[in-house]
Amino acid sequence: MAARARRLTTVLVLAVAAAIGVTGCEATPPATTQAAQRIVSLVPTVTEMLFAVGAGPQVVGVSSYDYFPPEVERLPKVGALIDPDNERILGLRPDLVIVYGSQSEAEARFKAAGIRTFSYRHDTAAAIAGTLDTIVAIGTLTGHEARAREVTTAMTRDLEAVRARVAGRARPRTLLVMARQPGTLRGLYVSGGVGFLHEMLEVAGGQNVFDDAKRESVQPSSETLLARAPEAILELHGYGDPAASGTDIGVWTALASIPAVRQSRVQVLSGDHVVVAGPRLGQGAEAMARALHPDAYQ
Amino acid sequence: MSLGHAPYLIASEVSYAYRPHGRTASAFALSGVSLSVPRGSFTGLLGPNGCGKTTLLKLMAGVMKPSSGRVTLEGRVLADLPRREAARHVAVVPQDTHPAFDYTVLEIVLMGRHPHLGRMQLEGPEDLAIAHEALQATGTDHLAERSFTSLSGGEKQRVVIAGALAQRPDVLLLDEPTASLDLGYQLEVASLLTRLGREHRVTMVMATHDLNLAASMCNALVVLRDGRLLAHGPTADVLTATMVRQLYDVEADVRFHEGAGHLTVTPMSRVS
Amino acid sequence: MIAEEAARAAQAAGRPHTAAARPIRARLRLTLLVFGVLAVATCALAPLIGSTSISFRRALDTSIPFADNVDAQILLIARLPRVLAGALVGAALASAGVVFQALLRNPLATPFTLGVSAGASLGAMLVIILGGSIAVGPWSPVPLASLAGAGLAAAIVYSLANGPRRVMSTTVLLLAGVTLNAFFSALILFVQYLADFSEVARATRWLMGDLDIAGFSPLVGALPLIVVAAGIFATLPSSLNLMGVDPDSASSRGVDVVATQRWAFFSASLATSAAVALAGPIGFIGIVVPHLVRLLVGVDHRIVLPASALFGATFLVGCDLIARTLMAPIEIPVGVVTAIIGGPFFLWLLVREG
Repeated sequence: MAARARRLTTVLVLAVAAAIGVTGCEATPPATTQAAQRIVSLVPTVTEMLFAVGAGPQVVGVSSYDYFPPEVERLPKVGALIDPDNERILGLRPDLVIVYGSQSEAEARFKAAGIRTFSYRHDTAAAIAGTLDTIVAIGTLTGHEARAREVTTAMTRDLEAVRARVAGRARPRTLLVMARQPGTLRGLYVSGGVGFLHEMLEVAGGQNVFDDAKRESVQPSSETLLARAPEAILELHGYGDPAASGTDIGVWTALASIPAVRQSRVQVLSGDHVVVAGPRLGQGAEAMARALHPDAYQ
Repeated sequence: MSLGHAPYLIASEVSYAYRPHGRTASAFALSGVSLSVPRGSFTGLLGPNGCGKTTLLKLMAGVMKPSSGRVTLEGRVLADLPRREAARHVAVVPQDTHPAFDYTVLEIVLMGRHPHLGRMQLEGPEDLAIAHEALQATGTDHLAERSFTSLSGGEKQRVVIAGALAQRPDVLLLDEPTASLDLGYQLEVASLLTRLGREHRVTMVMATHDLNLAASMCNALVVLRDGRLLAHGPTADVLTATMVRQLYDVEADVRFHEGAGHLTVTPMSRVS
Repeated sequence: MIAEEAARAAQAAGRPHTAAARPIRARLRLTLLVFGVLAVATCALAPLIGSTSISFRRALDTSIPFADNVDAQILLIARLPRVLAGALVGAALASAGVVFQALLRNPLATPFTLGVSAGASLGAMLVIILGGSIAVGPWSPVPLASLAGAGLAAAIVYSLANGPRRVMSTTVLLLAGVTLNAFFSALILFVQYLADFSEVARATRWLMGDLDIAGFSPLVGALPLIVVAAGIFATLPSSLNLMGVDPDSASSRGVDVVATQRWAFFSASLATSAAVALAGPIGFIGIVVPHLVRLLVGVDHRIVLPASALFGATFLVGCDLIARTLMAPIEIPVGVVTAIIGGPFFLWLLVREG
């Protein structure tokens, strides 16, 4: 298995899952109202949510890509999107399995075995709202509804706080970079006008330079970048991303005439709070706001 | 054994060893073969399959180096000559030719001019003239713009011979030139070669397993068996029933045919 | 009998050849002129066309400071390197295709037949998925790893084919190449399987080819390699002709067959490696262009090789133009365009032959 230390933004995992066709977030209505006691989660974002609402002790298995919170280190790893290890999962005798929206086959199998499933769907429209809803749904399923609502209230408060801080200020046209090839500007993936990254940027007082693109990720050519001329560039790296050191942002000098490059407004934001649509969204938005409006945080 | 002419193409104690695939010991394709080909003669190279005829031809062309001994042309060691220069003196006509690309007849014959051109030089009008001459000599000039692969077997062989002629060699080596041809074409190519040898004063060495063909075309014969020289001399002296028995384990009737004007060999039975 | 044949020739079923009528010098000059003009014209016009409309006059207006002149920036930083890269890669792949076809004595061979591209792809995959920061001069990590992978593949094939016999057997070459292709492709799939989804998406994108090099730096890296390969190419054509007719008797006509094979293999692998490292494995150029050129000018390598290089440049620049304008602002990967154009063309060729 690929080394833990080499993880990229899970946002792209979700972005690709989104491409397969996403609508709203649907929870399979639980057959009973009893809280789930043995939970296996194949979705790292939801794992984080489980621990955030206090359902950590009820989690018995996580995906191979899980690393947060640190408690998951001790838990059995059961595969992920394309390779869920059904034997292992069933061996853990779960009463709730969190699956990706596209894993319909796996979901059907668990249902046939009498196991409740929660199908995580990655939202592109109203993504932040969807995330909040998911947290509440997770809380309800696991008997921690109250705590879940506390979490979502706090998140909403944090987001509002960020919004208030940067209110009234000029919104720089911003390029949100999700990935590129190391050492070069080729293979760029940037955020389009939908999705949680885009929404976080809005909250943080930035204007997405590709907000007219009705997709979550865009692969712009150099020509398009030059034409759009962003005033600020934020490179987002998740935990363990080899490029997270940010030592190679010097590559942007290849397009030195972009305003953001000319004015040295190219910054790297590292950490899962900026790339995961989970409980730390608020911190992510704040990180973006601090980068775009440093004067608001003196 | 010389026919009384000055030394010309001579193989001296030539041996060639190769490593059969997968084995460490070498096998000798030729051992200690010595012969002398007189200038202007038409020598036949006879012997059963695997006797070393093709290897000997390649050594005489200078494209392979003998393991021991040497092949000289007018005193110069062929294998030591630069390849281009050797090619100006010795040309080879292979048994059959299967081009990988759709060359025209003229393109193929023009390639015979390669040894006479500089490294990056293109053919000029003189080369074109020589090529057409060669085509005319083989009666294939009307096919010049045709695709080579569309020709009949006989036409193909004649074109290949034209290509060798365009090389303006002193020695022409042929490897079973009529083996894949119908009887009619065989006779045609045979008479063509005999005429060319005479008219253009090219020394011919032809490997063949067709005894009658050899008898009709060659004035000297070299017989090989298992990589060794069995006999060498004028056709009449070499081509005997005894030789055929020794070489092929076949009882044959060898006699002069008045109508054909040369010796003929009629196989009769296998020797038990 | 000769008269009979002359009569048959008159109603020949064989294909008439119109291309070979004039002497080679004249044909070579004419061919180079026509294809050369075409290539230059394409490379001159392509930077002026694109998904963003720019004003050529404004771009050349030196009174506007460069930093404020978006038209100039787009022309000189985004489009011009891209067009030049397209020309270089197109020329390299097309001429490598010609040389490989001659080496393997098979008009269906491509620059990717012997596994060089699979090696390049594996190298690129490993860096894209596992991460890597080793860069050398103008070579950034992914192209550098790609080059290394290609070199490794070529070295393996070379040592396999250069056995106890001095002359390389085309059969062994082909088998070694096909085996290597299969093996490396399996490794690529395995690495992708182990990878994160996002990494797989990016890796797949690389496999579709990309000429958007964003600056001249990658060109500076690839250019010397391709120039060296081209220099060797220039010495090969007449030898390739002779070997194309009959490899055994080629040496009796003055060709050093062993040396020619080695130089041909080395130069064609070098050109392919550099092209794939620069722009990813862009398919169909190495087979469509040589075939098209042979249809027009005959099969003499002395004409086919330079003409293919020129036409390869034209073809790829043209395909890239389509790729970046057809569905603007979305860019179609250029490898997809070459496949969509090349595939049907190839089918048409096969139908025509049959």
